[in-house]
Amino acid sequence: MSSQKNTATGRAFSMASMGAGIAGSYFGYLLQRVFLGEAKGKLKLKSTHVRAARRMADEMQALRGPAMKLGQMLSLQTGVLPDEILAELATLQMEAPGMHPSLVRAQVKGSLGREPEEIFKEFTSKPFAAASLGQVHHAITREGRHVAVKIQYPGIRRAIENDFSLFRTFSKPAQASGHIRKSAIDEIEEQIVAETDYLREADNIEFLADRLAPLSFVKAPRVFREYSSDKVLTMSLMTGRHLEDFLAQRPSQKVRNQMGAHLFELFHFQVYEVEALHADPHWGNYLFNDDAGISLVDFGCVKYLSHEAAAYLRSVCLYPGSTGSAHFRRLLETYYEQVGEKLLPGARRALINFAENFYRKVYPPKPDKDQLFDFSDAIFLRDFLRESKNLFRTKGVITEFIFMGRAEMGLYQTLHRLKARVPTSQIVKKIFEETQVH
Amino acid sequence: MSALTNYVMTTKKKATLKRTTRRAAAAKRPQGRRAQNKAAIRKRIVTAALSLFQTKGFDATTTKAIARKAGIAEGTVFNYFRTKEDIALHFFEQEVDQAIAAVRDNPRLRKAPIEERLFALVHSQLEFLAPYEKFIGAAFIHALKPASPLGIFSHRAQELRHRYVGFVQELLDESMPKHRHSPLTFLAPEVFWIYYLGALLYWLHDSSPGKQNTLAFLDRSLSIGVSVLKQGKL
Repeated sequence: MSSQKNTATGRAFSMASMGAGIAGSYFGYLLQRVFLGEAKGKLKLKSTHVRAARRMADEMQALRGPAMKLGQMLSLQTGVLPDEILAELATLQMEAPGMHPSLVRAQVKGSLGREPEEIFKEFTSKPFAAASLGQVHHAITREGRHVAVKIQYPGIRRAIENDFSLFRTFSKPAQASGHIRKSAIDEIEEQIVAETDYLREADNIEFLADRLAPLSFVKAPRVFREYSSDKVLTMSLMTGRHLEDFLAQRPSQKVRNQMGAHLFELFHFQVYEVEALHADPHWGNYLFNDDAGISLVDFGCVKYLSHEAAAYLRSVCLYPGSTGSAHFRRLLETYYEQVGEKLLPGARRALINFAENFYRKVYPPKPDKDQLFDFSDAIFLRDFLRESKNLFRTKGVITEFIFMGRAEMGLYQTLHRLKARVPTSQIVKKIFEETQVH
Repeated sequence: MSALTNYVMTTKKKATLKRTTRRAAAAKRPQGRRAQNKAAIRKRIVTAALSLFQTKGFDATTTKAIARKAGIAEGTVFNYFRTKEDIALHFFEQEVDQAIAAVRDNPRLRKAPIEERLFALVHSQLEFLAPYEKFIGAAFIHALKPASPLGIFSHRAQELRHRYVGFVQELLDESMPKHRHSPLTFLAPEVFWIYYLGALLYWLHDSSPGKQNTLAFLDRSLSIGVSVLKQGKL
């Protein structure tokens, strides 16, 4: 099989058995859902936007998954979707088909060797949440602990790999013309495939739980390794409300500001201090508590940054001088050289414009003591998307930042929905000061 | 499937239904000591044979070797089974009977949607076969030979098929109101048998860890199949 691995057609042949077309494609599953009309009732687009745009987003939602993520990138470049919708897409989840109890049992037994009822004292066969590529069930361990058991839809990894190999073949012309970079497809595939390994996710949880300990307002689950495998992940049950329910309670401006500040600090603390971040901004992954605490769930997509990348971001964020200066230009060029990319003049202009038209506004380099950025006005979101698009168009996006960029877009979208006012630069400065030693 | 077998199948269906229920009842009846002994020996023969089929191959296994492995005289084997093919068929009958019982006797499945019940049926068959995968592969090839006693067209294999198809019909009748039956519903149980053979072939070729792809295949193909059936058209 490995000899055929390099071509998608070879891959398709290597699947050999006749059912491969049905079970061997994630994209096929998504089409199946549309065809069977299963997706309709489940569509939930949670904000107030123009009706026509919403309908368009509904169509896009039907394509959740890797296809959606790729679509997201491509639409950034081509500008076919309204900005608000793009921002919403960033927060969508990769879904998998729902599993009936018999399939859940078969999957758990195949993965852990025993049926869920034999493993746990109690196991609820109806899932309480959808997770990336699977679903989550409530259970009670023999020791009496309430846990969340995340179960992956069978065969999803292979299905995703098959889709990617096909996508690579179809997008050859776009790759040749430089519109889609091979390294970008590699990066996306690597991250998405990594999400299918729940043992890796368990590592992510333990890593981030440890490194985020200084942030007292953040809670991460505990992993139960004895009841976990690459397809089943058992964690302590997290409490809190989803963004929707949190907002439905009409929290005061003060509470929203506090929550916004916490989300903002969490993001930047991860980038600059942890050098790794929870990079799936889907709203279901954040639970809000009444004390403005944040519980994190679903650590499938954690992006680990290189030390150089974090140092570079630190040097350009809150850059005190002029963005038109030769020094700032050198900072950009040096980093691009470091990662083996050539910074084309167009991309350089796009980066400087990005810094000037977005970051300078949201993160003023010399903030007043009581500086607050108001995220309720959607203009900043449009600025962000416009400048992102320019950067894509001029081929200036560094592969390593693709997932961080999506997480950043998700953060801004959430802050916008919270209508939070956040001391942005003060928070970043505080993190810089506290972590200077690194 | 020819029109003739379809005709035979439908006329036999009622009888088959009765037979399956009788069998289930017989299984529940308390057994005498003699019968228990007989069942134990039968089980010993089947276990010994399967282990040899799996390791030595179906063709290379003799009844003599089976007797030796089971620790009984060769003549005793013949009291229970005429040939090794009979032993294999007995094993496949067990496979079908236990799968039917697994679906019928599971209270949780009683109200489950038809696609889940069919999934449970096939999955429980495959689970039963799993320890003898190598032998199943060989038996599959055997079964396609027209003259083979194991063949899908042999008399006993036909009977087994009717029992299986009858149960699928029962499941369909339970979950789909009669008045909504279309020509597709009429054909569905027969088609399901062919589908099962396809699924078995898929399972045999599935090299994914824990046969993950087979689970996905069953789930997704059954949901398509049931949806087509409910719409009454392709």
